Amino acid sequence: MPQGPDQNSTGRTSGRPGKKAAAQQRIAERRAAEHAAAAAAARKRRTIISAVTAAVVVIIIIVVVIVVQTRRTSTANDAASPANTTDGAFVVGEPDAPVTVQLYEDFLCPACGQFEAANGDTLRQLVDDGTIQLQYQPVAFLNRFSPDQYSTRAMNAVAVVADEAGLDAFVKVHDELYAQQPAENTPGLSDDQLIAIAADAGATGDSVAAGIRDLRFGGWTERVTDQASKDDVSSTPTVLINGNPLTDRSPAGLTAAVQAAAKKG
Amino acid sequence: MPWAATVIRIGLGAVWVVAGALKLPDPAGAERAVRAYQLLPESLVQVMAFGLPALEVVLGLALIFGVAVRWAAVGSAALLVMFIAAVSSAWARGLQIDCGCFGGGGEVEADQTAYLSEILRDAGLLLLSAALVRWPTSRWALGSLLSAPAADDVAVDPNPHDTLVGQE
Repeated sequence: MPQGPDQNSTGRTSGRPGKKAAAQQRIAERRAAEHAAAAAAARKRRTIISAVTAAVVVIIIIVVVIVVQTRRTSTANDAASPANTTDGAFVVGEPDAPVTVQLYEDFLCPACGQFEAANGDTLRQLVDDGTIQLQYQPVAFLNRFSPDQYSTRAMNAVAVVADEAGLDAFVKVHDELYAQQPAENTPGLSDDQLIAIAADAGATGDSVAAGIRDLRFGGWTERVTDQASKDDVSSTPTVLINGNPLTDRSPAGLTAAVQAAAKKG
Repeated sequence: MPWAATVIRIGLGAVWVVAGALKLPDPAGAERAVRAYQLLPESLVQVMAFGLPALEVVLGLALIFGVAVRWAAVGSAALLVMFIAAVSSAWARGLQIDCGCFGGGGEVEADQTAYLSEILRDAGLLLLSAALVRWPTSRWALGSLLSAPAADDVAVDPNPHDTLVGQE
């Protein structure tokens, strides 16, 4: 094979046998380093791409969930309101009474049941005396403790009764529902039982029965419950005396707070 | 250590998935729970109430399947710090709420708040998350499959015409 002047038969330049090998080794090493750097750069690029992709996917999932849940909770602002209510409140008593008592309660709430049992008579007396105007404000906070949506069904039932038969019937049904209050995490009063209680209080007829079964004021119960939450009501019962929360919920505490508020004028 | 990390990883992931999933069926309740803390302006209440459970489920799944474990552990720790701060704030202000951590509307019957136990529970989960950040390597993790070196990582000669030793 043709050989250059300084080459022996192995093709290696004679006289400098180690240098070419060393140079070729350096070339090989540099190439290997470039491969490694290129591979590392490619890996880093892949990592960044997959991290950004993952972040985008997570963000999309979160946004989709937010949109879906927002739709599910949008309470129709034009949901029918029952007659004889004002902004979710069933108001009894003299309009010019010196003290206004707001009573937020859930029909499934045991603490509300205890409050009613202890203070029901006192409240009735105060209304009859003209000392207070009493605003019942039922909410449906506790459906998660009911296998059959009792909070909502009870609240809807009293709304139907007030709508069809007036506030006296409402008060009778309200009191009876607390007298027969079911325990949490047990089936609540059935629709039939609610209809029977309504009939006993004077709310009779097919329209009442249909309103109770079909949850006629279901949208209203959602809107009122949501509004209560926006008005900083987060526990039941919440009792406001002229806007101030009642801390001592015993009959003595209630009476004292009402009298103090009446004195202030 | 890897087996302990595996148990922690999967357990923590399950807690997150359950916590998030329980909040999804009752969005109105979740909204009330966030509002009850009185920490966020009304405009952000729905974003937090609806976005947080989704994030919890995603985090939980990442941990269960062992994908991006260190990131998920960091996210888990960050969320838990946020929860501890929020519950502490509610406690300090004397609010009467249920933490709403596992669903529910945040309302509680009067005088039945349980702030201390909630904080202790979250602190325990925070320790587990921190441990995962420090020692993320575990068994049965999908992530190790997904980040295995690809075929083109093996060195390919970009210049086939260069001569190599012994080929003259």
